[in-house]
Amino acid sequence: MSQEHIALFMFGSMMLMLFTGQRVFGAIGAIAAIAALALYGTGGQDIPFSAAMKLMKWYPLLTLPMFIFMGYVLSESKLADDLYRMFHVWFGNVNGGLAMGTIGLMVLISAMNGLSVAGMAIGATIALPELLRRGYDKQMVTGVIQAGSSLGILVPPSVVLVLYAMIARQPVGQLWLAGIIPGLMMAAMFVIYIWIRCRLNPALGPVADDLDQVTPQEKRKLLWAGALPLIIFASMMVPFVNGWTSLVESSAIGALAALTASILKRRMTWAVFHTCTKQTLVISCMFMWIILAALGFGAIFDGLGAVNAIDNLFTEQLGLSPWVILILMQLSFIIMGTFLDDTAMLVIVAPLYVPLVGSLGFDLIWYGVLYTITTQIAYMTPPFGYNLFLMRAMAPPEITLRDIYRSIIPFVGVMVTALAIIMAFPEIALWLPGYVYGN
Amino acid sequence: QSTIKWRMQTYAGPALAAHVIDPAIEMFNKIAGDRMQIELFYADQLVPTGELFRAMQQGTIDAVQSDDDSMASPTDVTVFGGYFPFASRYSLDVPVLFNQYGLNEIWDEQYSAVGVKHISAGSWDPCHFATKDPIRSLEDLKGKRVFTFPTAGRFLSQFGVVPVTLPWEDIEVAVQTGELDGIAWSGITEDYTVGWADVTNYFLTNNISGAWAGSFFANMDRWNELPEDLQTLFRVCCDQSHYYRQWWYWGGEANLRVNGTKMELTSIPDEEWAQVENAAVAFWDEIASEGEVQAKVVDIFRKYNADMQKAGRPYRYG
Amino acid sequence: MNALLGFSRAIDGMNRVIGLIVMYSVFVLMGILLWSSISKTFFLPSLWTLETAQFAMVAYYMLGGPYALLSGGHVRMDLFYGEWSLRRKATIDVITVLFLIFYLVVLLYGALGSTAYSLGYWGKAPLEFFAGLITGTEEVGRLERSSTAWRPYIWPIKATMIFGLFLMLLQALSELIKDVARATGRMEPEART
Ligand SMILES: NC(=[NH2+])NCCC[C@H](N)C(=O)O
Ligand code: NA
Ligand code: NA
Repeated sequence: MSQEHIALFMFGSMMLMLFTGQRVFGAIGAIAAIAALALYGTGGQDIPFSAAMKLMKWYPLLTLPMFIFMGYVLSESKLADDLYRMFHVWFGNVNGGLAMGTIGLMVLISAMNGLSVAGMAIGATIALPELLRRGYDKQMVTGVIQAGSSLGILVPPSVVLVLYAMIARQPVGQLWLAGIIPGLMMAAMFVIYIWIRCRLNPALGPVADDLDQVTPQEKRKLLWAGALPLIIFASMMVPFVNGWTSLVESSAIGALAALTASILKRRMTWAVFHTCTKQTLVISCMFMWIILAALGFGAIFDGLGAVNAIDNLFTEQLGLSPWVILILMQLSFIIMGTFLDDTAMLVIVAPLYVPLVGSLGFDLIWYGVLYTITTQIAYMTPPFGYNLFLMRAMAPPEITLRDIYRSIIPFVGVMVTALAIIMAFPEIALWLPGYVYGN
Repeated sequence: QSTIKWRMQTYAGPALAAHVIDPAIEMFNKIAGDRMQIELFYADQLVPTGELFRAMQQGTIDAVQSDDDSMASPTDVTVFGGYFPFASRYSLDVPVLFNQYGLNEIWDEQYSAVGVKHISAGSWDPCHFATKDPIRSLEDLKGKRVFTFPTAGRFLSQFGVVPVTLPWEDIEVAVQTGELDGIAWSGITEDYTVGWADVTNYFLTNNISGAWAGSFFANMDRWNELPEDLQTLFRVCCDQSHYYRQWWYWGGEANLRVNGTKMELTSIPDEEWAQVENAAVAFWDEIASEGEVQAKVVDIFRKYNADMQKAGRPYRYG
Repeated sequence: MNALLGFSRAIDGMNRVIGLIVMYSVFVLMGILLWSSISKTFFLPSLWTLETAQFAMVAYYMLGGPYALLSGGHVRMDLFYGEWSLRRKATIDVITVLFLIFYLVVLLYGALGSTAYSLGYWGKAPLEFFAGLITGTEEVGRLERSSTAWRPYIWPIKATMIFGLFLMLLQALSELIKDVARATGRMEPEART
């Protein structure tokens, strides 16, 4: 078989396997194992397992269970209740204010965990019922929660950026800092979008009418709720950015800080603790097994020379300009992301793309931010998207699948716009890391 | 007659491999043409370095470029690959030890016993520290988390160095994320070539070894299947790679110390550094006591260094 | 079939218990990492923390994987799958889970070979080596050590991985049995054992 045929065969059959609905890691791993036995030649059967040894040495993966645990502590112990109330009280008295406040809530939650699940859970269980009860438009608010929670991976800490950092061999600290301004910018764009829509049609987001009873004192006191995420964020980021603790150590500090906060606030019951621990195991295993399978797939793909086929396609055969190649890559990520798992996509595809992006002269920190936003879009776009799954599972019954699908359209529009802006102005991502690390 | 295809993995990442191995393999492929092609893979690309030796033994990988130490080869000579503290002063010491003092024979015997062909050993650069904070005394070594070779790390840990082993490709980032305080893995040429000079600030001029020793290996069956002329061609290309490194490093080390701008040079005074040299004497004894083969190799090192000492300048100064 | 379902229930029970124990090792991991930052700040950094943390992580996801499988934690792409009836899902799974099983067998075989190597076996028949170890015709040879300055022996973690993969394989078989039972109507489609 030629290298092109091998590439086609491996990707094609992997897609086919995924469509059967078999577990993602099993689908990818099986194709890897088949190709290893059928095509690789002597010793191919050892490669899927040697991927496990490779995974063991990928030390940044140690952060994964820590950040996942942090997220569960946050959502399961209802640590964010006060936070929600703070935004509610402060923003409730304008049209759409609660929805805008929810975006603010999501930003703060993002600063305390590395995935979007926590934001999603908190949004769907605390904010959503409240918003619906107050007559907010259900499609708009469903979209708000999905879009808002996706900030979890752009605002540090971010598991996706850690994974990207490993593949692209870029410093996590810089990547994390690079995500902050784009994350805030995107949050601001969501807010502006909500504001405009509610301006045009105030019925979408009625003013809350029960806030008069809240005394100014109480209002000010609630501001303290906002201190908690900042403390947790700082306990992890300050030692890390200053180089006192390493990345993996910082992740443990973050997890400990979240746990301590929940205990101090008397929210950590045994039942909650048990759920957090169990969910952390399940989600960590899901990630690890996908990475394991994808690493094996990647090594065999590499060993069969199929990588060359992809390189040729982009650089020689098509003969395109760097920007066109970059945009094509982003498009292919978005398309793949509609039906492929983002972690698998990262582990399998990014090793092919990233060196190319580098050799075209683009900044790999900046590209990491682009990749992350693309992943966020993939999380929300049907048919395959984790946030869609989660929303389906957690949303109140009056929200139909149709609502969920339609709700994301405008927000994906906003995100694509943000992507375009950051592509046009790389400084949005690169200024902060440059400033802090001084280069 | 179909083309013979080999997969070879080096322990170096692409930036370094561009000098130390790519040219040799390109040369091989050009000359061998349709008869044989070698596809080269970089550090950890197909299999992680920890599994590299077994992969070669099993034929998953046909040939390997590595030092014995990094891939933890299951032989009695493992510790001598990489940087064995103070065994050599110059890069020419290594081929002399192998070709004229009998190491080739020992290596051949050791690797044949585990199903692997030892093709030839060559030398690389000296082992210096590149660190974020300056090292001006032995005291400054204390508590430094440093990426280094296993045996060098074992030796250095008595001075409070904390050796860390990570995948080669992750080193630059690990320095930035705080996992490492520095690197004791190469000379200054490599620091500049692979980007480590960009993430560290200081270069210590004292070294714990003047030249790294590493080899080319092949799976025994694959090697025996090759016609004799291709075996010869492969050897020639390996020698080419050894030769390239001789001048590339020798020139590079001097040039970058003098003209490099990214790292500041520091030194530990000779009297203080003598403690490290003395510790090496004890370390040699310790290793020699581990087995017959080890004792034999250490004896060869002793004999060689004594000869060099007697020969005087320019072989040894003082 | 009843015997098979009994077997499946036993496997599920075992992996559930193992999972509920292993899930706490996340705190072991956290402890190691915290010790690493403490020792680094106040004393000398330790040699062993990074590698030990890596071993803990491997044990965590290898031994916990079966529990995630049991509790449906491994995501699927549900473009079509999501639309199918439960019975139809089970029918398709009966076929496709065989691919998963194949993958796990290859992993397990690789793990056996790699572990045999870590016990000093250089040959190509790891199964015979292990059989020989039991019957006494083979001996443990040169033990593989990690190529770090700490130099721990590698076989314990590799053996743990064999065990985890074996449990994973058992769990996949249990899923297969349940899928067959569901597809043939011997078990309620949504029922979990
Ligand atoms: N590759 C995956 N399995 N990703 C799952 C994570 C997706 C989810 N929306 C999050 O960020 O929390
Ligand atoms: Na985050
Ligand atoms: Na999607």
